[in-house]
Amino acid sequence: MDRRAALRLLGATTTAATATDLHALGRALHRHLGRGAPLRVLDPHQNATVIAVSDVILPATDTPGAKAALVNEFIDLLLADWYEPEDRDRILAGLAEVDARARAAFGKDFVDGTGAEQAALLAALDDAAARWNAAPQATRGPQPFYREIKWLTLFGYYTSEIGAEQEQHYAIVPGRYVPCAPADTAVAPE
Amino acid sequence: MPRTYDALVVGSGMTGGWAAKELTEAGLNTLVLEAGRMVTTEDYVEHVPPWQMRFRGLDDRRARAADQPVQSECYACDEWSSKFFVNDHENPYATPADKPFLFLRGRQVGGRSIMWGRQTYRWSDLDFEANLRDGIAIDWPIRYADIAPWYDHVERFIGVSGEKLGLPQLPDGQFLPPMDLNCGETLVRDAIAKHWPGERVLTIGRCAILTEDHNGRKGCHYCGYCERGCITLSYFSSLNATLPAARLTGKLTLRPHSVVHSLIYDPQRQRVTGVRVIDGETKHAIEFSGRIVFLCASTLESARILLNSATREFPTGLANSSGELGRNLMDHIMGGGASGKVDAPADRMPVGRRPNGIYLPRFRNLPGRPKSPFLRGYAYQGGAGREGWGRGTDLPGFGADWKRALRDPGPWHFNFYGFGECLPNHDNYVEIDPNLKDAWGIPTLRIHCAYGDNEWALMKDASIAAAEMLAAAGARDIAPFIEHNPPGKVIHEMGTARMGRDPKTSVLNGHNQAHDIPNLFVTDGACMASSANQNPSITYMALTARACAYAVDLMRRREI
Repeated sequence: MDRRAALRLLGATTTAATATDLHALGRALHRHLGRGAPLRVLDPHQNATVIAVSDVILPATDTPGAKAALVNEFIDLLLADWYEPEDRDRILAGLAEVDARARAAFGKDFVDGTGAEQAALLAALDDAAARWNAAPQATRGPQPFYREIKWLTLFGYYTSEIGAEQEQHYAIVPGRYVPCAPADTAVAPE
Repeated sequence: MPRTYDALVVGSGMTGGWAAKELTEAGLNTLVLEAGRMVTTEDYVEHVPPWQMRFRGLDDRRARAADQPVQSECYACDEWSSKFFVNDHENPYATPADKPFLFLRGRQVGGRSIMWGRQTYRWSDLDFEANLRDGIAIDWPIRYADIAPWYDHVERFIGVSGEKLGLPQLPDGQFLPPMDLNCGETLVRDAIAKHWPGERVLTIGRCAILTEDHNGRKGCHYCGYCERGCITLSYFSSLNATLPAARLTGKLTLRPHSVVHSLIYDPQRQRVTGVRVIDGETKHAIEFSGRIVFLCASTLESARILLNSATREFPTGLANSSGELGRNLMDHIMGGGASGKVDAPADRMPVGRRPNGIYLPRFRNLPGRPKSPFLRGYAYQGGAGREGWGRGTDLPGFGADWKRALRDPGPWHFNFYGFGECLPNHDNYVEIDPNLKDAWGIPTLRIHCAYGDNEWALMKDASIAAAEMLAAAGARDIAPFIEHNPPGKVIHEMGTARMGRDPKTSVLNGHNQAHDIPNLFVTDGACMASSANQNPSITYMALTARACAYAVDLMRRREI
């Protein structure tokens, strides 16, 4: 995002700005500024939503989380150059649906919710995805959007340099094969 | 460059590399013609991590769908290694609508030896005598004793790691130290040994990967992605081993971008005198001549070249007085097996990416054992491992604690995956499609091939027996399966110019020499009279080395 786009985003939200809004805006701007390639599919709000959802799923702990690993940029690339158009549109609709649920649950877009509100909403979606996963394959219908964004978050994170090297201690050249190493000292499998 | 050589070798892959090495080491000026581009170790990408790939390994699926819809059916044709597979538009072929066949090809210096699976198993007389015993097709003109010294010769050079078992159906060889089984695999191995003592034996795969330094090549460093290349030359490919050895002799000329159109035949002398080449880049025609020709272009390409070389004397294809050229195409059948969760130690896991799995040799229809309701047999590959972060999608939860839990390995799984013998069948054949040419204007193949009832019966039995063994090992959530793969997918295609004793029923004799044309040798998979169930490359290599020695001897005696 360039400076002009940041100002436009700022201008669009100044009319009814509250402290919470400004705080959220500040976070959104922080997310946008100083990033790499310009986004090609996700608009600023969709991008902020992807960042927020992915970073609730895989937050920073003793290692950086999904946001720092720029999972959003990888998802944008897939939406632009990998997914079929109908799949891309379904994912974008899924993001809008998250906002619709957020407004119904706590009266704000997902990105503007508190950490607790965001977590409660994703917990409900996570339960629904688990029920879908446990249901018979023949009758359960297409996977929920949440399961798709959860997979995208996992894949984007663990295949990033941060996720692979810092979180998983992935070694490009292990140098040896230890068939039965102690699991607590071992490198996690891919 | 010179146009005349002692020997012409068509193909630079698994067998072409061996022909190049053996013929140059015997002192012959040898021209190796490779249809594709030059490849060097600069092309190797095994250490490029996912985050440096545009799609992180999910592949550029639009490009693949556009240019490699067939090739991308191979597991190894991925975001890293698709450059080692052909463009399907440049290399078309046809099949009847009801007989799909996957023609998976690597046209470059090194051929498919760059991306092969590296599994390396000797045949035994159980295999060489099988056609005779069953009254199927024709008898092999050789027995194990004929090829055993050549297996030794090849293994000593390429380096094969494995465990000696003393099994008559899977002879031991010249092995480097075996790789290790992990603790999921030893658990299953021990349970099988207890339930089927002396009958079913689980071992580590015998593979052409070095477990210690060997012949100037380094031991494996367990990065795990051999099909992307290997800068330490730790797995065998022609690029890593045989072509460099041939180059050392000073007798090798390697010409990439040399698409062989056909062979040139002199009816007066009843010899092949050379080859017609289309330059892959300029598309200009050019001819090279040699005293002997080795066809090592791969089973189907060698058959295609001979079919495209028809003359007045051989109107249905060169060296085809038998009518068997193009016939008896086989490919192993795969995909009968079972998977399950095993109770291996939760506090243990493998570290490093071992580019090899387990092997469970054939145990059906062995001499002195009960007969199964099908012919021949199958073997399993597979192995044990623990789930990684990929399980997170369906692992309920999210957040900091959940992320921490994903750091630990998940459940132990074990997978048995069967590979079965394919019977030779006269009705599985290739012919030249009169209407289809490749990007170089060369008529291409129409492939007619389907598995029969015996192949499917093998996979059904492989699925049931795998589930039994997992049950014996105390596995949970056992899931038997039978995949319905089209032939070609195993990439063990063979037959189409079979060896035999009788010139009336076979194309090649017991030394891979054409019955009809004594200075023509075909030593790739085309020569096979049956398929056994073992991965075939080591047998092709041994037959090639053996044929080279024979040809050199005939040349010295001025017989060819």
